[in-house]
Amino acid sequence: MNDEQLLRYSRHILLDQIGIEGQTRLLEARALVIGAGGLGSPAALYLAAAGIGTIVLCDGDTVDLTNLQRQILHHTPSVGRPKVESGRDTLHLINPDVDVIALQSRLDGERLDAEVAAATVVLDCCDNFATRHAVNRACVRRAKPLVSGAAIRFDGQISVFDRRRADGPCYHCLFPEGEDVEEVRCAVMGVFAPLTGIVGTMQAAEALKLVAGIGETLNGRLLLFDALSADWRSIQLARDPACPVCGPA
Amino acid sequence: MPRILFTQQLRRFTVTPEVDTPATTLQGALDAAFAANPQLRGYVLDEQGHVRRHVSIFIDGRRLRDRACLAEPLGAESEIYVMQALTGG
Repeated sequence: MNDEQLLRYSRHILLDQIGIEGQTRLLEARALVIGAGGLGSPAALYLAAAGIGTIVLCDGDTVDLTNLQRQILHHTPSVGRPKVESGRDTLHLINPDVDVIALQSRLDGERLDAEVAAATVVLDCCDNFATRHAVNRACVRRAKPLVSGAAIRFDGQISVFDRRRADGPCYHCLFPEGEDVEEVRCAVMGVFAPLTGIVGTMQAAEALKLVAGIGETLNGRLLLFDALSADWRSIQLARDPACPVCGPA
Repeated sequence: MPRILFTQQLRRFTVTPEVDTPATTLQGALDAAFAANPQLRGYVLDEQGHVRRHVSIFIDGRRLRDRACLAEPLGAESEIYVMQALTGG
């Protein structure tokens, strides 16, 4: 770390649990952020500010006026621009040292597998079940920690699925893939603006803890947040021994 | 008395979002909740009466594993929490 970095990250370095060693891990890490919307915005902002060395930002969409109520990575002049380009510009304003790789596509197949394999940590900030299951499968296959978040209306969910721990469940253990799944999208259901900030920020915190190797993560726990009652609920999750994704082949 | 409650996302289909019931099994508790909130059934169970894949049910913090078996016994003070997978990002 150079003098400017020591100064920039001094409030992290002051923390016993992080210090220079932990901050160096952050600077050397590569985070894959899938979705540059309501959750990806605060998550990527905190990852960049905290000094994650490389952020791969994936999203196939362009910025729409309706996004600006909550997607704080984007600004009014960005309407019509690819979200990943708008996001990259904002992240560089906060921290020009971060290498932001902007992928304007919905990742799947070999490309998804390769990006997951190259990542230190994966943050699922997407808005559909097909991508959530594809990302989960790739993370299980590549033994990468997955920080999963979701928010709709006034309801938020956050968990970590880290198969590096033998008894840790995967996303499929909790919500098996199926045809009867009801897609609940912000576009039709609505979402309370700060809820995405709360959940996305929690995702960033879990990702930073995973990279720095500190604290207890949400692996094996699901946090549920009800923004209307301001209630948090923590539920223990167990692996499904019969899970076709993470169970024995 | 056992209590069954629903995540905020499912409460939009309820008139009574928390139901206390003398039921001794999960099936009995769900029946009591559906009697109070008829619209809820189709969002929680499929046509075969199995728990839908995007719904998870926790009894005293333990996740129901077998979506087809609702005969799980309840304790006198059991809490049943019914939640739905969310995708919004």
